[in-house]
Amino acid sequence: MAPRWPWILVAVAVIALLPHLLGTPYWRGILVICAMNVMLALSLNLILGYTGQLNLGQSGFFAVGAYVTTVLVKSFGWGFWPAALAAVAAAGTLGLLLALFAVRLRGHYLAIASLGFAVITYQVLVNWESMTEGVRGIYAIRPPPPIRIDGLVDISFSSPMMLFYLVAGIALLVYLALDNVVRSPIGETLRAIREDEVSAASLGIDAARWKAFAFGLGAAVAGLAGCFYPSFVGTLVPGAFNIVESFTMLAMVIVGGLGTMIGPVIGAVVLTFLPELLRGVGELRLLVYGLALTLVVLFMPGGLVQAWQLLRARFAGGRP
Amino acid sequence: MSGNLASASLAAGPALLQAQGLHKSFGGVRAVQDISLAVPAGAIFAVIGPNGAGKSTLLNLLSGTYQPNAGTLAFAGRGLVGMPAHKRVRLGIARTFQKIRLFKQLTLLENVLAGFHIHHDVPAWQYFLPAGAFWRDFRRCREEARALLDFVGLADEAQKRAGALPYGRQRMLEIARAMATRPKLLMLDEPAAGLNAAEVALLLDRLQQIRARGITVIVVEHNMDLVMNVADRVFVMDHGEYLFEGAPREVQANPRVIAAYLGGEFA
Repeated sequence: MAPRWPWILVAVAVIALLPHLLGTPYWRGILVICAMNVMLALSLNLILGYTGQLNLGQSGFFAVGAYVTTVLVKSFGWGFWPAALAAVAAAGTLGLLLALFAVRLRGHYLAIASLGFAVITYQVLVNWESMTEGVRGIYAIRPPPPIRIDGLVDISFSSPMMLFYLVAGIALLVYLALDNVVRSPIGETLRAIREDEVSAASLGIDAARWKAFAFGLGAAVAGLAGCFYPSFVGTLVPGAFNIVESFTMLAMVIVGGLGTMIGPVIGAVVLTFLPELLRGVGELRLLVYGLALTLVVLFMPGGLVQAWQLLRARFAGGRP
Repeated sequence: MSGNLASASLAAGPALLQAQGLHKSFGGVRAVQDISLAVPAGAIFAVIGPNGAGKSTLLNLLSGTYQPNAGTLAFAGRGLVGMPAHKRVRLGIARTFQKIRLFKQLTLLENVLAGFHIHHDVPAWQYFLPAGAFWRDFRRCREEARALLDFVGLADEAQKRAGALPYGRQRMLEIARAMATRPKLLMLDEPAAGLNAAEVALLLDRLQQIRARGITVIVVEHNMDLVMNVADRVFVMDHGEYLFEGAPREVQANPRVIAAYLGGEFA
């Protein structure tokens, strides 16, 4: 396979430059959100794009990551990083359990069950006030603690720029790890399940087990994205994890290109920035998502990645 | 023919797969009734019968796609009833499908690579961060996959999408994919259906090579030329029931078999 390191260098350079190109705190904040959305789109793509499970509950795992981290830090006095680790484990475990429960469900039925999970999670956040403060919300959440090694390193995450570097760096590591997974025999197995489960079973593949693996891993990555959300915003309210968020993640994956690694990244970037650029026109965000999703599903089911491939093929074919 | 010589010695050999009194009904339809058979190790064992005789259902029972309503099933002495299909593959049972079930969106190479699922020997962390064992496995699987594609005459098309292949070649690809599981028993459901004469000739040759590798073959087939040329034993079903079993020559001469195929008045 083609070497990846030139692309990794490009990605690192882009990440390093972006906060300097978009210099205001507002736009740097959008960059942080964008990096989180990239992770969320990657996580959903593993479940939906590679394994073919229509999961509409991803906002629930995002919420678990955010709330478990924050509650452990604020109410139980944990450090940020152990709390984040616990939150990722919690989201991943819930994903596994949901997958094992839903193992006989496919298509619409899995979609409904996973949507139900997101609704239940949202209701728990609203109603379990002794733990989550309900709709009143949790305030004054601090950013991740600075990383200090005496005389060598002193990195504080209190500015949006440094927080962006942290979240984007982790998003890049997540991308590389998932890219390795989908290129490995595990990726072959997941795609085989997506294509035909009976046929996969005839090759010794235990579809239930591997679907649960993908679901659990995807949920854990969504939980990881969630860890950083509250420390960026500073407050945490259940409304941020409304089930509509599951559909925005779905839109990012499908608009970008289902079942490719780079597609969801592009989808997340486009659908984070496009609504911001159109902000003057009013509450257009959901309209943008809805319209983009409809157009892609109707005219370009492979998403922006497919559009790019078609353009490139036409360009290459047009040359003498 | 060499096939018949082989059958004489093989028939006395130990059975690799043994079924006793298998039953399978769907609603009120009895698709398989009281089928008992013993497949000798190293043989090509053909299952024939008119349309609707229950051959594919029988194969689905043997592979674990269906579970029987009654009866016992043993592979190399191990009970199979209740064992799901994916676990039987680990014992060495592989199959192809009558209605082709390739991974159509994946390339030929990827289809065969998926067949190595139970044979990867890589520490779990290396799937996330590839290192030595991963790359050894990676190269070994690709070499082996290419050899299998070569075996079925598809080496030049490794990067094509499986769905883009002509029908006959899709059948050969399914055989290569099943072979990737390194089976002891390979079950083929109508492998010659839709094949042209040249493709049937290739299939016949490859079936003999597969047997020569020590793999036992069960083949459900309508193509009588193929069955008579390659099979060591032939098992005949009609209306879900046992009709006859014997060497190809005995089957051809049996009046009940002829009657089943041509209708009662010839009996």
